[in-house]
Amino acid sequence: MTELATMDFHPQPQAGRPKPWAFPAPQRGTLDNGLTVLRCHRPGQQVVAVEVILAAPLEAEPAGLDGIATIMARAFSEGTDKHSAEDFAAELERCGATLDAHADHPGVRLSLEVPVSRLAKALGLLADALRAPAFADSEVERLVRNRLDEIPHETANPARRAAKELSKELFPASARMSRPRQGTEETVQKIDSAAVRAFYDKHVRPATATAVVVGDLTGVDLDELLGDTLGSWTGSSAEPRPVPPVSADDTGRVIIVDRPGAVQTQLLIGRVGADRHDRVWPAQVLGTYCLGGTLTSRLDRVLREEKGYTYGVRAFGQVLRAAPDGTGVAMLAISGSVDTPNTGPALDDLWKVLRTLAAEGLTDTERDVAVQNLVGVAPLKFETAAAVASTLADQVEQYLPDDYQATLYQQLASTGTVEATAAAVSAFPMDRLVTVLVGDAAQIEEPVKALGIGEVSVVAAE
Amino acid sequence: MPMGHTATAEAGSGGLTATEHRLANGLRVVLSEDHLTPVAAVCLWYDVGSRHEVKGRTGLAHLFEHLMFQGSKQVQGNGHFELVQGAGGSLNGTTSFERTNYFETMPTHQLELALWLEADRMGSLLAALDDESMENQRDVVKNERRQRYDNVPYGTAFEKLTALSYPEGHPYHHTPIGSMADLDAATLEDARAFFRTNYAPNNAVLSVVGDIDPEQTLVWVEKYFGSIPGHDGKPAPRDGSLPDIIGEQLREVVEEDVPARALMAAYRLPEDGTRACDAADLALTVLGGGESSRLYNRLVRRDRTAVAAGFGLLRLAGAPSLGWLDVKTSGDVEVPVIEAAVDEELARFAEEGPTDGEMERAQAQLEREWLDRLGTVAGRADELCRYAVLFGDPQLALTAVQRVLDVTAEEVREAARARLRPDNRAVLVYEPTTAEAAEAAEAADAADSADETDEEAAK
Repeated sequence: MTELATMDFHPQPQAGRPKPWAFPAPQRGTLDNGLTVLRCHRPGQQVVAVEVILAAPLEAEPAGLDGIATIMARAFSEGTDKHSAEDFAAELERCGATLDAHADHPGVRLSLEVPVSRLAKALGLLADALRAPAFADSEVERLVRNRLDEIPHETANPARRAAKELSKELFPASARMSRPRQGTEETVQKIDSAAVRAFYDKHVRPATATAVVVGDLTGVDLDELLGDTLGSWTGSSAEPRPVPPVSADDTGRVIIVDRPGAVQTQLLIGRVGADRHDRVWPAQVLGTYCLGGTLTSRLDRVLREEKGYTYGVRAFGQVLRAAPDGTGVAMLAISGSVDTPNTGPALDDLWKVLRTLAAEGLTDTERDVAVQNLVGVAPLKFETAAAVASTLADQVEQYLPDDYQATLYQQLASTGTVEATAAAVSAFPMDRLVTVLVGDAAQIEEPVKALGIGEVSVVAAE
Repeated sequence: MPMGHTATAEAGSGGLTATEHRLANGLRVVLSEDHLTPVAAVCLWYDVGSRHEVKGRTGLAHLFEHLMFQGSKQVQGNGHFELVQGAGGSLNGTTSFERTNYFETMPTHQLELALWLEADRMGSLLAALDDESMENQRDVVKNERRQRYDNVPYGTAFEKLTALSYPEGHPYHHTPIGSMADLDAATLEDARAFFRTNYAPNNAVLSVVGDIDPEQTLVWVEKYFGSIPGHDGKPAPRDGSLPDIIGEQLREVVEEDVPARALMAAYRLPEDGTRACDAADLALTVLGGGESSRLYNRLVRRDRTAVAAGFGLLRLAGAPSLGWLDVKTSGDVEVPVIEAAVDEELARFAEEGPTDGEMERAQAQLEREWLDRLGTVAGRADELCRYAVLFGDPQLALTAVQRVLDVTAEEVREAARARLRPDNRAVLVYEPTTAEAAEAAEAADAADSADETDEEAAK
């Protein structure tokens, strides 16, 4: 090599003294209408984040109407008793606000972000949407058509297509989790405003909902503000809905979703495992990070930085649905895309990484770096109000205590290499992984069969 | 040593201030203090992007950005990532038409490490750069291109439309990702020459923002960066200026395996940094920014001919900016129906201008976007670098919101009247191929457009 620079070199600097930081503790209360409220003052965060969690899980959707929770969520911002759909959107934007709503297995979430100077106005609009949504026939009809138009776009997207196939494979056909979250052509086209209204009447009420408000609340009388807005939402009380048990078939096998001519193969390799209620969770987080959390984790060290097969492969654990008794599940998966000709070699290397991990375990250095990262990035990760609000809302949705995240950092720091190894190995056992490959079957089927990672079947993309 | 010192607290910036300094080797430094959270952002903008690339070497700036993470004299292999992440930091780099940026957000007590790492690669990358990392990152970038552009529906729309919008030979004709052929052709010597030419302290701006002690920070900056020699060999980029108006409607029809018909268009707009560009931004926001915009109301709500419809703005300082229209059709609606409606709405807007309500909404939305960007130390560090590199004055970042709020309705109408016209756009029409259509179609004119996209990230 050439060219030794002429600069002065200095030894790597040592870290200074860490400053204390803790995940913020929210203040919890209940409004007169039964709405639970978590609030958290974050100085300097001028854009306030509000999350509302509704106990309207996907498994509560009526049979044959998959997607109705999604249509309802979207219809919240399509008019109220005070505003038409167009006016409602205009009023929100006049506040400089954004309002997103989506339905997932645990329930429906609405996320509002607005500059604190216009919080009162935006909270009023949010309250109107929850209290008196219009659900006008023509608007629901439009949302249904719009949703039907979206489906072919999702089918054409390799990552979305892979996720849909994995759910179908893992869960029994009778389980809501086996089917697309936002419904299929067949189910969505049956949804109308009367059905949306009925779903709303049955599952949406303040007594089973929680609002999380985070931001710089200096000079804001939040009690008065909430009383005037979300406090005016009324509804009957209700018993908490039981969470159905989840079963999954993780027999090792391979499903190729054929996409002739694809220049890459989308990989999604997964199963279900422990969620945050399980004592193994911190070790599982640590082990999963060491396996595939970042560019310097084991998978990318080989697949990307040594072989160049991919732009990046990640391993992750994502809670699907938690239960108060701790019987919930998380999706544990490895995802990424690799070029078509190297699909076989990339999977071979991926399994070698898993085999080596099981045989030799993690090193102490790996474990230390992972802990330093996972714990150390917390103040960065939670700089914005939206990040804090989202995590607090996740905790509520997953029946976790308000100090869960703060405690998790202590647990991560005290998790050892042996525990992290054991958790990673049992999260990703080589013979209990369902592999979905969205790619050109004509090119990848034979090389994948030769690997012996499970029976290989091919399905059409559409 | 540091010289020059200004501090301003401007309206709309939440009382933020920034100070400016320059080392003897030409490195410009911008510091901004904020002690709310114990984190500090380091951001380094090099004044080099895909517009500096030459024919046959598209994608080199971005490929080079990847090589910056492959080690330098004192940093082994992936050490840059390992050390930052091991210190509880996060990091990345991106390449656009006009610049390459590198950034780390660190817990306060690890700030010095990020400065040491950035200095090490600025001063000594070539001590570590070798064929092995070149070959490996070439493959990684080609897979990045496949993943983000070639293997997804409409994935190459951006590079096709860019190639249509800027003529052959124009520095912005190709996008940062580059072509597969050029990525294959790049040599280690190209990368070395690229570094020698562009990665000099006097071609960069360093910003450090957050929970910092400015005096201590400057001492560290001087210690680590101060001895890196400056270098004046960088040629001026090719001129990117073009006439205000294209003068005709450019058009390409793509027949591909996509899920629905689409109408995309790029309008030629004023350069970033001008009041006219801010006016155009507001015009695009009224017309196509969000769910109360004119195009959304017309196409998605009323006519119900589109799944999604919106406008975006690609701000560029060294060439005309682009106003980006993207409409995906609903069901079997044909593109001419959409196009006629778009033209009608644009013509009406040019005639009547925004209503008071529309101005208020558009300004409120753009204001919130600024609050979001300046609300994190990393976002603020990036904006300070942007204004320093592209416009020579980082303080402009802190007054940007106010400039958007100062624009009048008449200026917005004028921007639309002058620019949002059919003879000032490049149009890309997608027609899905089906079994039968494939037979009938005469191989489309999937013209051998050029290359690229907005930003490429190393991670």
